[in-house]
Amino acid sequence: MRIVVLVKPVPDPASAGERLGPDGRLDRSATPAVVNGNDEYALEAALKLVAVAPEGSEVSLLSMAPASAPDTLRKALAMGATRGVLVTDPALAGSDAVSTARVLAAALRMLDYDLVLAGVDTSDGVGGTVAAAVAAHLRLPYLSYAARIEPDEAGGTVQVRRISPTGYDLLQAPMPALISCTQALGEPRYPSLKGIMGARSKEIVGRSLADLGLDPAAIGGAVATTAVRETRTPPPRGATEVVRGTPTEGAARITELLAARRLI
Amino acid sequence: MGALWVVAEPGPEHGLAKISTEIATLTRELGASTGMEVVGVVIAAEPAEPAAELARYVPRVLAIQDADAGVLAWSAIAAVHLAALAEADVPDLVLVGSGPDGRDVAGALSALTGLGVLTNATGVAWAGDGPIVEMSVFGGKLQTSSVFTGGRGIMTVRPSVTTAVPAGTAGTVAARTVSASPLPPVRVVDRVSEAGVAAPIEEAKIIVAGGRGVGGPAGFDIVEQLAEALGGAVGATRAAVDSGWIPYSQQIGQTGKIVKPELYLALGISGAIQHKVGMQTAGTIVAVNRDPDAPIADFADLLVVGDLFEVGSALLEQLRGRSG
Amino acid sequence: MDSSAVAPGYRLTEDQGLLREAVRVLADERVAPRAAEIDRTAEFPEDLRQLLAAQDILALPFPEQHGGLGGDLLSVCLAVEQLSRACATTGLILAAHELGALPIVLAGTPRQQARWIPRLASGEWLICFALTEAEAGSDVAAARTRAVRDGDVYRITGSKRFITHGSVSNLVTVFAVTDPEAPRHRRLSCFVVELPTPGFAVTRLEHKMGLRGSPTAELAFDAVSVPVDNRIGAEGDGFEIAMRTFERSRPAIAAQAVGIAQGALEAAVAYAADRRQFGQRIGDLQMVGAMLADMDAATESARQLLYKACAEIEAGSPDAGRWSAMCKLVAGDAAMRVTTDAVQVLGGYGYIDDFPVERMMRDAKITQIYEGTQQIQRLVIARALLGKGG
Repeated sequence: MRIVVLVKPVPDPASAGERLGPDGRLDRSATPAVVNGNDEYALEAALKLVAVAPEGSEVSLLSMAPASAPDTLRKALAMGATRGVLVTDPALAGSDAVSTARVLAAALRMLDYDLVLAGVDTSDGVGGTVAAAVAAHLRLPYLSYAARIEPDEAGGTVQVRRISPTGYDLLQAPMPALISCTQALGEPRYPSLKGIMGARSKEIVGRSLADLGLDPAAIGGAVATTAVRETRTPPPRGATEVVRGTPTEGAARITELLAARRLI
Repeated sequence: MGALWVVAEPGPEHGLAKISTEIATLTRELGASTGMEVVGVVIAAEPAEPAAELARYVPRVLAIQDADAGVLAWSAIAAVHLAALAEADVPDLVLVGSGPDGRDVAGALSALTGLGVLTNATGVAWAGDGPIVEMSVFGGKLQTSSVFTGGRGIMTVRPSVTTAVPAGTAGTVAARTVSASPLPPVRVVDRVSEAGVAAPIEEAKIIVAGGRGVGGPAGFDIVEQLAEALGGAVGATRAAVDSGWIPYSQQIGQTGKIVKPELYLALGISGAIQHKVGMQTAGTIVAVNRDPDAPIADFADLLVVGDLFEVGSALLEQLRGRSG
Repeated sequence: MDSSAVAPGYRLTEDQGLLREAVRVLADERVAPRAAEIDRTAEFPEDLRQLLAAQDILALPFPEQHGGLGGDLLSVCLAVEQLSRACATTGLILAAHELGALPIVLAGTPRQQARWIPRLASGEWLICFALTEAEAGSDVAAARTRAVRDGDVYRITGSKRFITHGSVSNLVTVFAVTDPEAPRHRRLSCFVVELPTPGFAVTRLEHKMGLRGSPTAELAFDAVSVPVDNRIGAEGDGFEIAMRTFERSRPAIAAQAVGIAQGALEAAVAYAADRRQFGQRIGDLQMVGAMLADMDAATESARQLLYKACAEIEAGSPDAGRWSAMCKLVAGDAAMRVTTDAVQVLGGYGYIDDFPVERMMRDAKITQIYEGTQQIQRLVIARALLGKGG
């Protein structure tokens, strides 16, 4: 089974250093980059799927990112991915969801795969629309919000449990297919030492826009369909009231506050 | 001038999703302030009922009937019809919810039409040549106002941004047919209801959430009882979900859901950044924690230092006493 | 001698960063909770030794072709540092394992390496380094354990003292005199003894000030028979093999010392941020703050020197002996100073075993003694500066 996992380096959310630059675009130099949290779940799902039948299977990473990205992809390679494909081009700085989807689709056209997995959204944009757009560009069956993925290689189909408000829907489609992945698929493994040391020799293939047959003037930041006009920091919440004392006293203070704010 | 479209998402029992009634209200109000036409679009196997419901909120509804919408994954079906419709009628702005269905249809529609997408909007206004969309980014640290550079686009809207209010008079419903080549079908083999799955927590006005301090699935009992007493939903941190104490559907935070309830009651939750980004814009945040130095102390309105079970039981008693 | 002229600086690569983080997480979650108990019971933590093996940490110093992870010197030191931060005894498991195996890695034949390294890398076997004797500590060349050739075996007779892991090892790298008439530095040869074997016995286990979970043994060899094939290098190469070994093993001890210092620093900072006297955090009192600042600077300087030394040694610097001695000298003294000050910061609480700093101080002392005393390190450095000859 050959799986491509879409991964995006994002500013580390735990570092609290995310900010926009003066041009209203995400300032990617502000904090060290890590692989988007949800993408790690997608990668973990891919690694588990190929572990069932490892012969001839591989998990490739595909990323559209700045040229410094190889370092960030190291951890994903250390988790067990076979190789990385990195699409990088100065024109792509400031890309919106439309360009991103077109670029990823173009890159996927050059790869062979049975499944493409993606996280449902990213911590730096939280849009959650790119995976569906990529699938539409490639005319791939799109199965989203997966809590479980069950391929049937012999039959050439895949079944997915899509989380729903009441439980889940069981979806089925032929492969190749594109699946967006939720955290319910299972916690990503921490890379083993063997994986970490082995990642040093794994290849990351670079692709430019020219390699993908895309015109730099017609894609990326220059043709962004959206722009930030203004930013504001929300007013601070105000001081925290700390109450110690007996549980009854604490509970009484809560009840008092909720009543005062008409929440009960 | 173009029109404002609200796309209806499927709700339970062939009805209309709650978020669509909220977005319909928002769109109607925007139409009233700009003088722009407001159109609702329903794509379903049996569109009559949801179309009639949507027509309570907007003056004009287009009902597109597609038998496949009942047996195949909805978003790909809807996106194709919408793309064809958009090519014919050229709307200025297409609004849809920011839940799974809304995002899926927004993404596919964007690919089919080339229209840009602004996501997780908390508000929209009009300025001269196009919409100005309010969004909250970086887990609430920053609020932005964004535009479509071409003046037209698609936006996904957060739940509970608007309260759904029907219009004074019901709108018209007209059937519409468009032809378009479909996207690859995805079959819905089964729809499974699971016991204990609560209403989507993004819609809840009150959330009582439990974290690592709850200690186990039995510990969530007090969380559930408090949620019930307050008329709210149960939430959880990633730690609780990863430990298997509560389903992923209740998870709030960076890899779970982002919520903005009026009240967030956090029991045994440290308030680490990965959870904070999911709930820090709540109206009122009350925390119960043994550790007075937990990160949540920095942004809660009220922190009660103590054992969450003892404080929780006392609170439950007092709440029940009030309503008794 | 000016180091700024030498090419290798260092920068932690992405995988070294990941490795450090992985071991740190392991140390925090699985090793730290056991540290106090290991010290109290003075029992070798077999469970943690198996954990390190299962996590491939014991494979780090060995070449990939024999099942190792091919980690460079800095990578091994990063792992030792993170483990030692939580528990110095556990950090020593990796450091002593590397020490014992280095003669095989540096001077063994391909056949010898193929025979022994795979099971050392997997952690199935432990190996110890037996050079020191009761009458030959700093004066290595004064060793008296004898290896007499008899056909296609050697018979080894004598005893070794203060051997780390001597009682839990499967292999013993032992240095014995093969030619008593040779010049001092050509008297010794190096052998690998496979246990169990007749004539070998552990005759004593020391009760130590610190590193109490690490078994320190006296080993007796009574005509232990060892095939000629088990000799590492040629006859007389023993002393040189030992010196080459120390170039790579001393940084690991420096890493242990840096780890101990870091653990003590963190404990002291946490305490000083929490403990209130005279209406404020004691960390905000200048005398305490100054101590913490000096502890941090001492730890960081030791760390930076260690990392730089690793880069130099890995790059094959002709000055490797000096780098190795310097990093061990500085780190050992830093660990002793930082842990002593950590106890001071905690005051009365630092003296009782409810807090880990008294253990860390007891653990730190040995880093000034073994793997070459601080005095020997100074000798090495001075000789490097002045050159041989008078």
